[in-house]
Amino acid sequence: MAKYILKRLLQSLLTVLLVVTLVFLLMRLMPTDYFFTEDELMKLTEEQKHDRLLASGLLDHPLKQLADYFKGIFTEGDLGVSRRIQANQPVTKVIGSKFSISMELGLKALGISLVIGVIFGVLQARYKDGILDAVGTAYTVFVNAVPSLVTYSLILAFGSRVLGLPSMFTMRKPGPSSILPMVCLSIGSIAGYMLWTRRYMVDELNKDYIRLAKLKGLSTRSVMYRHVLKNAFVPLAQYLPYSILLTVGGSLLVERFFSVPGMGPLLTDAIARYDLNVVQGVVLLYATLGILGVFLGDLLMSLIDPRIRLTNKGATR
Amino acid sequence: MDMNKKTVSELEAPVVDLTINRSMTDSNIDKKYNRGRVHVHSRSTLPEKQLFSYAEYRAQDAERIGYSQYSYWRSVWRNFLRKKAAVVMSLVFVALFIFTFIAGAIGKYDVFNLRIDNSLMFTAPNAEYWFGTDNMGRDYWSQVWYATRTSILLAVSVSLGQIIAGVLIGLVWGYVRKLDSFFFSLYNLIDNIPTIIYMTLIALMLGKTTLIMGVSMIAFGWLATARNVRNLVFMYRDREYNLASRCLGTSLWRILSKNIFPYLVSVIILRLALAIPSTIAYETTLTYLGLMDISTPSLGILLRNARSYFLDYPYLLIFPAAIVSIITITFYLVGNAFSDACDPRNHV
Amino acid sequence: MKKLLSLVLALAMVLSMACITTASAAEITDLRTWETTSRELETWNIQKSQAAQDLNVLCNLFDGLLTNDASGALVGNAAKEWSTPDGGKTWTFVLNDGMKWVDKDGNEKADVVAQDWLTGLEWVLNFAKNDSYNVSMPNDMIVGAKEYYDYTKQLTEEQGEEAALALTADGKFAELVKVTAPDDKTIVYECLDAMTYFPSVATYNCLYPLSAKLIEEIGVAGYEAITWENMWYNGPYVVQSFIHQNEKVLVANPNYWNAEGVKRFNSVSIKMVESVDTAYQLFYNGELDHVQPSQATLTTIYNDKNHEFNKNLVEARPTKYSYQMHLVYDVNNLDGTPYTDWNTAVANKNFRLALYYGMDMTPYLARTNAINPLSCQNYAYTGNAVAVNSQGIDYTQLVRDELGLQYDYNTYVRYDAEKAAQYKAAAIEELTAKGVKLPVNMVYYIKGDSQTAMDSAQTLAQVIADGLGEDLVKLEIRTYISSLTNEVRVPQYNCLFINGWGADFADPVNFLGQETYNDPAAYYSNNYSMINKATDPDLIATYEEFTRLVNEAKAITDDNDARYAAFAKAEAYFIENALTIPASYEVAWELTCINPYSKVYSAYGIQAYRYVNWETNDQIYTTEEIAALAK
Repeated sequence: MAKYILKRLLQSLLTVLLVVTLVFLLMRLMPTDYFFTEDELMKLTEEQKHDRLLASGLLDHPLKQLADYFKGIFTEGDLGVSRRIQANQPVTKVIGSKFSISMELGLKALGISLVIGVIFGVLQARYKDGILDAVGTAYTVFVNAVPSLVTYSLILAFGSRVLGLPSMFTMRKPGPSSILPMVCLSIGSIAGYMLWTRRYMVDELNKDYIRLAKLKGLSTRSVMYRHVLKNAFVPLAQYLPYSILLTVGGSLLVERFFSVPGMGPLLTDAIARYDLNVVQGVVLLYATLGILGVFLGDLLMSLIDPRIRLTNKGATR
Repeated sequence: MDMNKKTVSELEAPVVDLTINRSMTDSNIDKKYNRGRVHVHSRSTLPEKQLFSYAEYRAQDAERIGYSQYSYWRSVWRNFLRKKAAVVMSLVFVALFIFTFIAGAIGKYDVFNLRIDNSLMFTAPNAEYWFGTDNMGRDYWSQVWYATRTSILLAVSVSLGQIIAGVLIGLVWGYVRKLDSFFFSLYNLIDNIPTIIYMTLIALMLGKTTLIMGVSMIAFGWLATARNVRNLVFMYRDREYNLASRCLGTSLWRILSKNIFPYLVSVIILRLALAIPSTIAYETTLTYLGLMDISTPSLGILLRNARSYFLDYPYLLIFPAAIVSIITITFYLVGNAFSDACDPRNHV
Repeated sequence: MKKLLSLVLALAMVLSMACITTASAAEITDLRTWETTSRELETWNIQKSQAAQDLNVLCNLFDGLLTNDASGALVGNAAKEWSTPDGGKTWTFVLNDGMKWVDKDGNEKADVVAQDWLTGLEWVLNFAKNDSYNVSMPNDMIVGAKEYYDYTKQLTEEQGEEAALALTADGKFAELVKVTAPDDKTIVYECLDAMTYFPSVATYNCLYPLSAKLIEEIGVAGYEAITWENMWYNGPYVVQSFIHQNEKVLVANPNYWNAEGVKRFNSVSIKMVESVDTAYQLFYNGELDHVQPSQATLTTIYNDKNHEFNKNLVEARPTKYSYQMHLVYDVNNLDGTPYTDWNTAVANKNFRLALYYGMDMTPYLARTNAINPLSCQNYAYTGNAVAVNSQGIDYTQLVRDELGLQYDYNTYVRYDAEKAAQYKAAAIEELTAKGVKLPVNMVYYIKGDSQTAMDSAQTLAQVIADGLGEDLVKLEIRTYISSLTNEVRVPQYNCLFINGWGADFADPVNFLGQETYNDPAAYYSNNYSMINKATDPDLIATYEEFTRLVNEAKAITDDNDARYAAFAKAEAYFIENALTIPASYEVAWELTCINPYSKVYSAYGIQAYRYVNWETNDQIYTTEEIAALAK
């Protein structure tokens, strides 16, 4: 087991390094013209442009730049400085000031959607084909039917105009001002958890051991919660670590709409400003968390379901 | 399914696969179960004489050879037609799509020659402007229907592209064991870089036209399908009958196409159906981020523009949003129904 | 339940009545303003910053030598007086007493001394320190600036960055650059030429102070990465908190030297919002003190007489930009060959005049101002309030007098169907004779993802088609991906650019000097109109005459009135020949608790967002109140 974990960790590390390398090189494919603002492109001479690029080190061979970058990471844990997001500030500081905000909001939303989603999913499965089930399905379909851009706009408008809730996140009143962003964040994932809880529950309900349990005369309630829910939760649990870790990433649209100072819009902003160190830093973080999330999910699943063994020939069977 | 022998990482990514299982198992098991129960009851209540009786000899029947009328696609079709809601919705969708062509013709204004008239801006829907006018006094009807057509065509072609690429890659990935680790690395590599990076880079380097962005959506959208297909191939390729078939010298192509592919059809159909609405949603987000060219009106563009108008002029949001919803709901229902119908286990 | 409801309603009514009756003119003490998230501050280094979004904040944290008042006139700031002994060649600024550098908490760090302006300019001109940001104006105006810049650049190349970073205002800088501080309170600049407008440059951040003691404390690298937390302030406000992409809070500097002399807010919070729609939402909920409603909201409020804000809509003052339709005289096809049809057509005076007289721009102006499009009409090339003569007449008025075009807020005055038809007929005849295939396509590029640009371009196409028919010229709209400069301007694909130019300093040469023929410093000639590459002799002769008129005006340095009159003549010649066609001003609508006529109003410089001496009202101003204030 320990050997397997070590092997998986090494593999993950390799993948992360590959991902960062790929992004690093991809970003170097981007024409250096985007280094300059439109204003600078208009006013700078070719020579001045060349000088600026030279000063930024972007004219070195990409592989040399890559080597320098990795050297910085491994020797000092240094991800470089931001160029325009927050000029000359270390990338770690830029990201550090943002990820906790996204994570806090995301975790709350995740908690809410997990609770609501699972409860409603259970109820849907319990009263399958009843009114509740139909309502739940209608909700799921509706949430998926309307593009989130529109859903969020409606929530923003309704919440702030009709209910008078704050339409902008502020650190001074994080409670009330995070209500609407949290509603936006949860509305989709509630539908997701509902769908999957119901799905897994129904699957389990149809299995032979449940029929046996019913035949033995166990009450529906006890079957439902002692057996079905427990087993149905296993596949859900697998994705829990992943979802928890990736709350760090925030949501692009929600954070834009409500001016949440989180990670969500950072990536697109950084690309648009040719802030390569920030792009690389963010991707490094995402990739690490993503891969770690899957790994922890596997681990968690093998812990709660002894039938699943991790050490069976590895992922490449 | 001998799940316990698989490592967890081979288990399914949840989102779409489980929907598939839902439709398969739900209807499947319920039906079997009901049939079984009816059977038990009938046997216990009927007198023995009605249960067993002598068959009479008929020359004609005796001559008949064992031939089944079963045709896969006819069966699929028959099963599909049983789902009334899905049939109705798909008719609605077909009508909608045809109407996008008619709408331009019966409308009073040509989408390519709309006149800007500030005195008419934000006119509510009326007899002259059936869907009202936009912020520059241009007829909204012609724009909405033209945009609908663009979006449907884009969504259908992108989804088809994603599914075809995904299935082909998934089949190879699943069947050729040597390539498994290669594909896994590739998958991990692409999957762990936010798509927005690819899309932005492509938009900046190659352009933002509908064609370029459509192709890019295909290029980065096949992953989930491929992985899904690969897992299914894994599941079925070493089943006893396939082993037997291989031992008997059946060609690889025949095994893939006759033994394995039918199991995939329902999955593919469902994925296709779900990819269409998500493509429209994705297009809306890309438009919002400024990564789509706005020369060709599409629903994504109309929705994005309506964002700053809808509080004062809700009709500018309602029409395109309603159409998007109709398309999405149709594909949800039809996709589920059709994938159920495609599952041979549901065929009698 | 019903009882409760009516009780609540009654209470609400009483409350709202109370609000109305207490609507006295109480001033706002804590201002709440906004900016869109795409315009977040990027750097705190005022020497380096060139972007408006940075400077709009930074101008509150530092005092430069001079500033502007609400009428646009230059007034002292850090400098209490300024003078020139020799008609504009050297300029002496005398500083106020008691100015302090403070940290973010208002603790005193050092005195502000004349030497700080030298340290600041050294930083700007030092290639290694400032990466050539903000160097163009000092290089063009101050003796030795260019030499010092070149020296640092060479030093960086030859001996590496470290050598150039080690330089201070003492060594080579003092030797080369003719800026001196004879004592702690006096700064003397020596200009390359007699420059009467040099004081207006003193409002710019290229001439802002930097304390040598701060550099001593945190080092050169420390100042390159300066933030609000460790920098020193000498302006009316200090930063209390900064949450990237969310909110900045400025509070009044407790140790401000001029605390008695200016009116300040206790605090100013600048909220970052996703769009003007979100800003309006915040305003509606009472969380902002001013907003510019989007077109949809504006139309609703304006048309609904019962709307709660209907009586509060006011037109903002024009922004400093003067928008022009720049015709391009050397255009290429996509394959790189010359677009001969266009190049021939645009060189033809009748063709240009047909465009000039044939466009009723009203619908186009409505794109900026849907309610009063004609508020945006612009018939001159130079911007508003750039220069005012001794009788207090704005320079653009002189130009309009020369042109005989006076504002009429009921019609678009320049449009003249008869003249347009004549010029069109003449143009068709002459161009056909030259073998030009008509209609000629006027290629116009817009950014591919901008709905606003697309709407405006389509409006323009319609304006041209309505005024001139479709047999002479047609607007062909094409899109570029991301960079107009690289994708369109450099390969010369565009026949027409529409853009705004804001003044850098207070003189018409700042505008007209960009258009002169065969002048390497003329920005638009070299980068937009491409006139220097044109071949048509008539066209070149017209341009040469215009250049002669401009140079004549430039030579007058002793009498501003005569200078402006001469410039106005040159500008009128330029416009009458339709070498460039004036397009519009920006005049938006707003709902505000701030008296717009109390704000700094300036056509140049970085002072417009200084939150000092603002008159405010805790109730939203009504249209009448603002109209009264405007007088």
